[in-house]
Amino acid sequence: MSKQITIVDYGMGNLGSVCNMFKRVGARATVTSDLDAIARADKILLPGVGAFDAAMVRIQDGPLRAVLDRKALVEKIPVFGICLGMQLLTRGSEEGKLAGLGWIAADTKRFPSAPDLKVPHMGWNIVKPGAPSALTKDLPDESRFYFVHSYYVRVDRDADSILKADYGVEFDAAIQHENIYGAQFHAEKSHKFGMQLFQNFAAL
Amino acid sequence: MLRTRVIPALLLRNESLVKTRRFGAFTYVGDPCNTVRIFNELEVDELIFLDITATRERRPPNLKVLADIANECFMPLGYGGGIRSLDQAKSVFDIGFEKVAINTYAAEDPKIIAQVAEVYGSQAVIGSIDVKADIWGRKRVYVASGRRQTGLDPVAWARQLEAMGAGEILLTSIDREGTWNGFDLDLVKSVTSAVSIPVIAQGGAGNVEHIEDVVKRGGASAVAVGSMVVFQKKGMGVLVNFPDQRDLEARLR
Amino acid sequence: MLQDRDLSSANVRICSRCIYDERVDGIAFDEKGVCNYCRQVDELKAQYGTGGERGERTFHEIAEQIRHAGKGKRYDCVIGVSGGTDSSYMVHMAQAWGLRPLAVHYDNTWNTAIATQNIRKVLTPLNVDLYTHVVDNKEADDIFRAFFLAGVAEIEAATDLALAEVMYRAAWKNGVRYVLEGHSFVTEGITPVGRNYFDGKYIKSIHGKYGRRPMKTYPLMTFSRLMWWSSVAQIRKIRPFWYIDYSKEAARSLLEEKYGWQYYGGHHLENRMTAFYHGIYMPQKFGADLRNNTLSALVRNGKITREEAWSEYNTPPQVEEELLAYFKKRLELSEQEYERIMALPPRSWREFPTYKKRFERLRPLFAVLAKTNLVPMSFYLKYCFPAHV
Repeated sequence: MSKQITIVDYGMGNLGSVCNMFKRVGARATVTSDLDAIARADKILLPGVGAFDAAMVRIQDGPLRAVLDRKALVEKIPVFGICLGMQLLTRGSEEGKLAGLGWIAADTKRFPSAPDLKVPHMGWNIVKPGAPSALTKDLPDESRFYFVHSYYVRVDRDADSILKADYGVEFDAAIQHENIYGAQFHAEKSHKFGMQLFQNFAAL
Repeated sequence: MLRTRVIPALLLRNESLVKTRRFGAFTYVGDPCNTVRIFNELEVDELIFLDITATRERRPPNLKVLADIANECFMPLGYGGGIRSLDQAKSVFDIGFEKVAINTYAAEDPKIIAQVAEVYGSQAVIGSIDVKADIWGRKRVYVASGRRQTGLDPVAWARQLEAMGAGEILLTSIDREGTWNGFDLDLVKSVTSAVSIPVIAQGGAGNVEHIEDVVKRGGASAVAVGSMVVFQKKGMGVLVNFPDQRDLEARLR
Repeated sequence: MLQDRDLSSANVRICSRCIYDERVDGIAFDEKGVCNYCRQVDELKAQYGTGGERGERTFHEIAEQIRHAGKGKRYDCVIGVSGGTDSSYMVHMAQAWGLRPLAVHYDNTWNTAIATQNIRKVLTPLNVDLYTHVVDNKEADDIFRAFFLAGVAEIEAATDLALAEVMYRAAWKNGVRYVLEGHSFVTEGITPVGRNYFDGKYIKSIHGKYGRRPMKTYPLMTFSRLMWWSSVAQIRKIRPFWYIDYSKEAARSLLEEKYGWQYYGGHHLENRMTAFYHGIYMPQKFGADLRNNTLSALVRNGKITREEAWSEYNTPPQVEEELLAYFKKRLELSEQEYERIMALPPRSWREFPTYKKRFERLRPLFAVLAKTNLVPMSFYLKYCFPAHV
């Protein structure tokens, strides 16, 4: 028995693609910006494409922030942040000046500039398993995902890192702390690998 | 490590997929959605769609076709063709595309690159450069599907696009396109050594050796392929396909 | 429409040899309870010596003629390929037969990856060249849509006829006089006449009435073109499996092992329009399940029992989940419009202009053409005789 997934539309993100993937794995998902609908959500997906501050400014000062905080930290429903959405879960990013949601003990940093390290990290890269998680269940050993980002996340606690990847530095490709999940890569554009994650989240 | 991307570049003409040779005569390849489904099943890395008549016809992107395509796709998508404003770029992103490629308009009003990059991030903007040899054999940047000379030098132009915020360069050799004769390695090398952002080489891929060459010797970070993935062989019939993934992986390691 | 899967409790009369039942058009049972379609297969087998020494010899003579006619040319025959079992196997066998084929494909733009991959997997190692005709996808959809709106059964007709025309064109362009087709009456049976029919005029009439786009890239085989190809260009249609022994199962194993070819299952996953036609359109709108064709053939060849065939036949066909959504999207049909048209009573080809009467009038001519393989014998049998009601 799977519950419906509420995809939060705060004005930035690849909502259509995310919706499509859920549909493909047979899960029910709706996109909404309506606060009441979000307040009643059983599971939340936080998408995001673009710049850190541009996103936080849309969330932080309004009633949306209060609703989201309550759902994530008090009601503790499953929350899944993808791409920028995962970075928003952290305390803050070197990309912007605003604070992040701070739902997970982590920081977002910029990739170091190096002569043969082109930034953004863009393309398919393999991930290594970290701590076990319901989100990454059944992923094949050599899983790869599509990454597009100039900033990366590092969690404080190693137990929160469920997938790791390498690009100049080792960073956390997917994270989890209790009910809060995050994936740095474009899970909705990573073929069967991404589908596995979506399926797992839908099954929670 | 990061896999070198091999990206089918599919040309849209009205609502059909076509393939051109040197930006000239075209052959019908098929239905965009159906072809996307095939590439989905082949698990290719990424797709780029280029609408080759949008600029000439002075019309915006065909959102209906793009929406149909995006619905079918579970890999990253890029789109280029006729984008002249932030709003148009936004409509393409909203549909589910990850990147937009801007070509002609960037030469007319370079601010567009910065505008889109600022809102969506550099990684969402591809500066698209088409290059042809002029009558004196000098390689120059052309726009409007290769019909208008800009007089710009490709290396200088690539640097400018990078400075304005483009996250990638799509570098296409008009002279090599559809010929199966291999890439213009000199051209590719000149640009890859001049910018720090990834360069996608396009134009001339005929076999996996060409792909390997342009990456290892030309310094390309990614390769766009056209004829190779829509025809059975040079001069032969349409057959949507993709080179063996393991072979590619082994060569591009 | 589906019967009890247990053969003994069926309440329709079933042929005692295959599983065609009384609902099949133009069926008649003899005193042994065997249907006329079984008899027809028997007759053709006797006529062609299929799978026996005589058949083999005849085919080898034909192969010799093909080789001879093709001397000095780049190709000596044309093989229509779809990625399916029959055509893939023929390309494989062409080498053993000493032939140098040009593979020809008509892409109606609804192919799946399996089809295109299969074509590639077989042609590449055998070094066979491919000629493709791709129709403009919007045009293809317009024609499909026209047939759907017309409410007739032959929604696949446009593809079948186009392939035939394209093969002729490819042959002509390359100076080739022989087209090899993978049809086998042994493994497929003869399609009952009467219900389904198509020719160039029919396609033109339907498209003229219900289409919206001009026909520019669609290769229409008009009557005069058919006459040109068969009587003037004298391009012969050869069906190797009418002469030599052929087992689809053995062919599949060989293709899988040797080329990594993939069987797409009995659900026609090689082309989405075909899948729609067999899995949804025919069963739901026309109450016709065409699986009895191949199932009956399997029974006749002793590959499965009548009981097994009947049980399979009366199991609902499996359909790819999003097939219907894809169909509606491509043909730009809303949910309501689709339901409305599906609910309309089915119409028949007889209600539209066709060449049928002309073919019947010219029976003597086609009898001659069929004898020398300038048109297939099955064509002659189906087109030149009045169709049963």
